[in-house]
Amino acid sequence: MTATQSLLVVLLAPLFSAVVIGLFLRRFGQLAAYISVATSGVIFLAAVHAVWTAGGEIVHDSWLWLSFGAFDVSMGVFLDDVSATMMLMVTFVGFLIHVFSLGYMAKDASLARYFGGLSIFMCSMLGIVLADNLVMIFVFWELVGFSSYMLIGHYMTKPAAAAAQKKAFIVNRIGDLGFVVGIAYAYWHFGTTDLEVMGALVGADPNLIHAGIAALLMCGFIGKSAQFPLHVWLPDAMAGPTPVSALIHAATMVAAGGYFLIRIVYLFPPEVLSIIVWLGVFGAVYAGFCAYARRDIKQVLAYSTLSQLGYIGAAFGLGYPGIALFHLITHAFFKALLFLGAGSVIHGCHHEQDIFKLGGLWRKMPVTALTFLIGILALCGVYGFSGYYSKDAILIAGGMTNVPVAVLLTFGALLTAGYMGRLFWIVFLGKPNSEAAAHAKESPLVMVVPLVLLALLSIAGGWLGYWPEVLGATIKADKAELIQMTGYDAMYLRVALLGTLAWIIGLGGSFFFYGRGASEDRLEKIAAPLYSFINQRLWFDETYDFYVLKVQQRFADLLSLLDVFLIKGVLVRGSAGLVGLVGMCARSLHVGSIHGYVYWFLAGMLLLWAVAAGIFG
Amino acid sequence: MNELLAEFLRGYTATNEWSAIMPEIMLALLALGLLVSEMFLPKAQHHLIPRIAIWGQVLIGVYAFSCIGGCLTSSGSFFSGMILQTDVSQMMRPFFLLSSILVCYLGRIYLSQQSLAKTEFYHLVLIISAAMMLLVQSSNFVMLFVALETVTVAFYVLVGYCRTSPFSLEGGLKYLILGSLSSAILLFGIVLLYGVAGNPQLPGASPDSLNFQSLQAFIALNQFTGGNLLVNVGAILVVAGICFKIGAVPFQIWVPDVYQGAPTPVTAFLAVASKAAGFIVLLVLVQGPFLALNELLVPVLSFIAAATILFGNIAAVTQRNLKRLMGLSGIAHAGYLLIGVVAVMRGVEWAVYAVIFYLVTYLLASFAVFGVMAITAKADDANQQLDDYANYSRKQPFLSGVLTLGLGSLAGIPPLGGFIAKLFLFVAAYQAGLYGLIAIAILGVVISIYYYFGWIRECYFGVPTSEIVEDTCGQSTVADRTLLGALVAGTVLVGVLPAVLPIIP
Repeated sequence: MTATQSLLVVLLAPLFSAVVIGLFLRRFGQLAAYISVATSGVIFLAAVHAVWTAGGEIVHDSWLWLSFGAFDVSMGVFLDDVSATMMLMVTFVGFLIHVFSLGYMAKDASLARYFGGLSIFMCSMLGIVLADNLVMIFVFWELVGFSSYMLIGHYMTKPAAAAAQKKAFIVNRIGDLGFVVGIAYAYWHFGTTDLEVMGALVGADPNLIHAGIAALLMCGFIGKSAQFPLHVWLPDAMAGPTPVSALIHAATMVAAGGYFLIRIVYLFPPEVLSIIVWLGVFGAVYAGFCAYARRDIKQVLAYSTLSQLGYIGAAFGLGYPGIALFHLITHAFFKALLFLGAGSVIHGCHHEQDIFKLGGLWRKMPVTALTFLIGILALCGVYGFSGYYSKDAILIAGGMTNVPVAVLLTFGALLTAGYMGRLFWIVFLGKPNSEAAAHAKESPLVMVVPLVLLALLSIAGGWLGYWPEVLGATIKADKAELIQMTGYDAMYLRVALLGTLAWIIGLGGSFFFYGRGASEDRLEKIAAPLYSFINQRLWFDETYDFYVLKVQQRFADLLSLLDVFLIKGVLVRGSAGLVGLVGMCARSLHVGSIHGYVYWFLAGMLLLWAVAAGIFG
Repeated sequence: MNELLAEFLRGYTATNEWSAIMPEIMLALLALGLLVSEMFLPKAQHHLIPRIAIWGQVLIGVYAFSCIGGCLTSSGSFFSGMILQTDVSQMMRPFFLLSSILVCYLGRIYLSQQSLAKTEFYHLVLIISAAMMLLVQSSNFVMLFVALETVTVAFYVLVGYCRTSPFSLEGGLKYLILGSLSSAILLFGIVLLYGVAGNPQLPGASPDSLNFQSLQAFIALNQFTGGNLLVNVGAILVVAGICFKIGAVPFQIWVPDVYQGAPTPVTAFLAVASKAAGFIVLLVLVQGPFLALNELLVPVLSFIAAATILFGNIAAVTQRNLKRLMGLSGIAHAGYLLIGVVAVMRGVEWAVYAVIFYLVTYLLASFAVFGVMAITAKADDANQQLDDYANYSRKQPFLSGVLTLGLGSLAGIPPLGGFIAKLFLFVAAYQAGLYGLIAIAILGVVISIYYYFGWIRECYFGVPTSEIVEDTCGQSTVADRTLLGALVAGTVLVGVLPAVLPIIP
């Protein structure tokens, strides 16, 4: 098999699985689950095969899909080191999460819908990863949005899930509006949307870079990657099943925005990059604060994800797409691990998600606790763990080019260590705070093994030197560029020191502040105003709700009034009435009298003659 | 003198190519054979007669279809210029056969609900079908008139076929009187043309002035020298006679009454085949003898087209009797087709094929709708109301789906055949520069969606009532479903892949 064929297998196998499940297996949940899991395994193997066959060469094939006049839309695959790295991450993490789901969702009533959704998600996500042009990215971008919508609302009887899926979908549409306009603009500007061709064009003539296009395309990133100000949907999306949160809302889909930016990095002028930096920094710090007032274990992780997406955005904005990709990959490993760990906890404790009702799980769920700890250490950037390498690279890049960014991001790292410490100490140490936690059991093997594998990757994923030759060329290049800058060594030492200090203070401080297995939030008790301020999350949701309810709704009411009166009343009813009236007249011509008909006939002859003679002009 | 006569007869026999009209002859023989078989078959075997009719036609259809490919002398002038076979007339043979097969099938359904003579129905349908084939091939006014009268006279009988129904009798009588009137007008026009073209004092006069070719040469010569009033009057009268057949305004007045009174299969036959024959004749005339009269006829036919579209659609809006509704909407379709004819006259030659394409999609969709109507109709065939279809989708989901697709195609909804057909017509009209007519046609289509979808709405969104369950009438057999399903599938297929109909060159 050639690399292209393997890539087609990667793209089409999950689609096939989704179609088979959707059409034939809706009543056979178990079978659907096995098919979906097997498919995810197959696509991982095919992805490995494709990368191995390509051997570091660029694979780019495309096929004409639609043709409107001079405008051709193609579908194609474009495998370079960036997409190869991303594809392997997505397929491997995806496979582990599929396996984990077998255990986590075992008792679910609509297993087929769930696994069908996972398959369609894998297809759409890999479509984004492999796409060779913007239109194709957009198609799969929207499919990802659809599958995310479907999976968030998996527990469709819960009103919160229904509201969350709607919110995620609508908020994403706002970003996508800019995105689609940007694609059209790019086509108009470059005459193509092919990634490789656009890159060559811009490379030949840097004047072609256009801030407007970059800014519009950035909107897609803001929506999908939940960047400020469209971050509001991600925490709510936690209403979906936990493996879905791990796969879609932590490891892959939300990272797709960042990945997309990395694919088109050559289109970005410095002004837009600096916007992205500051959006990212703001998100990183803001989300770090918000996490302190969350009681739901998944919500804490969601804000942590928001914060880490901020780091990815900041790294990209600083001009180091390779570093951004690096953090994206390591983040995917440890955040998937953390979410699956949370899933394991939730599964073990009968769906108890309030951290203050858990506690003391270290003994009851040792593997989960240990892997969770590894995930936290990786997230906090402890030396040797994957997060250390990627986060420090971002901080160094910041320190070399933009010191305030580096300071704020280091502060963000401190916040991260603090709230993750809070989470760990409360959930795993001390004594159980509820019946559910007291009777917790370690999860079955099918859930534990993925945790262990992800834990290994969370440690080793950052050891760039051990990565295969064919992967991560961009990452290594960016790293090498940093190392060659003057003052790198000093900056490295400073960042390593400050970073280590940050996690020690964060973890230690939270240990002493919250204590082991606390049953209530100490911050809330001793500084209630501060807690409630954080809990309000700067009133973003409230502001948006206000806007929708008071401003947009009023405007919509006004338009609806116009619609009812002007369009429905006057235009539709009016014209229908007019036609009906004429119709009644016309019908009354057909009186049924044969005499009348004959006269009518002769009159018609005269009329024809009049027309022929030109009396009517 | 004898020499001359001998020469003349020799000329006749030289062009008497009987095999050229083999399908028509076979149809006539089949029609006679039906009557014979009724006489000789035992009564218990009479149910075989419709089968003989249908399968016999299928065989003839296969033969006629193979003629298109050219295994026979596929084109040329025969019988001393009485008949001119073109690719168009070859295409129309399978068309008429298909419609008469479908009419026979619907007739079987219809006759099973009535206590009427049966064999004569099929006999007349076959005769009409053969005569229509000859009609579209005729290239001489005598031939045209004879063929046309064969069609019309047989239709008089068929429309009034249901002797027990006052509506049917009334419809038959009205069709007879108005049809005779139109025949008289047509004949008068023909006579005027014959007389003036036979006048030896005029340039280009011909002893054989009923022949289309010599008439065409004569008219062209006369137009060149300033026109001739008698020619103009004669042409207008002939066009008026044809417009009666296609049910165009202002000669549409008979349509609702006759469509309502006639048995449903006959209504379908009138709506599809009779209209198609009229259009082909009109096309032959405007491309042949009346070619030089474009200046006179283009405004006339444009006016008729516009008036027909608007009148048909608007009058159909308030109509609740479904057969009248189909009649009035059929008037509107005649209007769209007239746009194609006008486009041909303005020099867009491929519009001829757009018209035929439209006729084929119209056949598929109309027979789907009429088929459902024939199955659903109660004994009182003339009184099919919109209200009868309340909750139809719950009683007959399959038929309801067929009806929806058929009506959707008639309304011109993509991806159904009717949409593509309208598109071809409008493109042809656009190329001919008929912008005003296109605007009117689009307006008409919008209005037509109102009543077509009103019917669909009645089927699907009526208020459920208790009598749904008990209502068992109008059950369809597997054969019905297969046939209707094939029609609908054809409609969809033509819409999705217009190239399956190799009509548009």
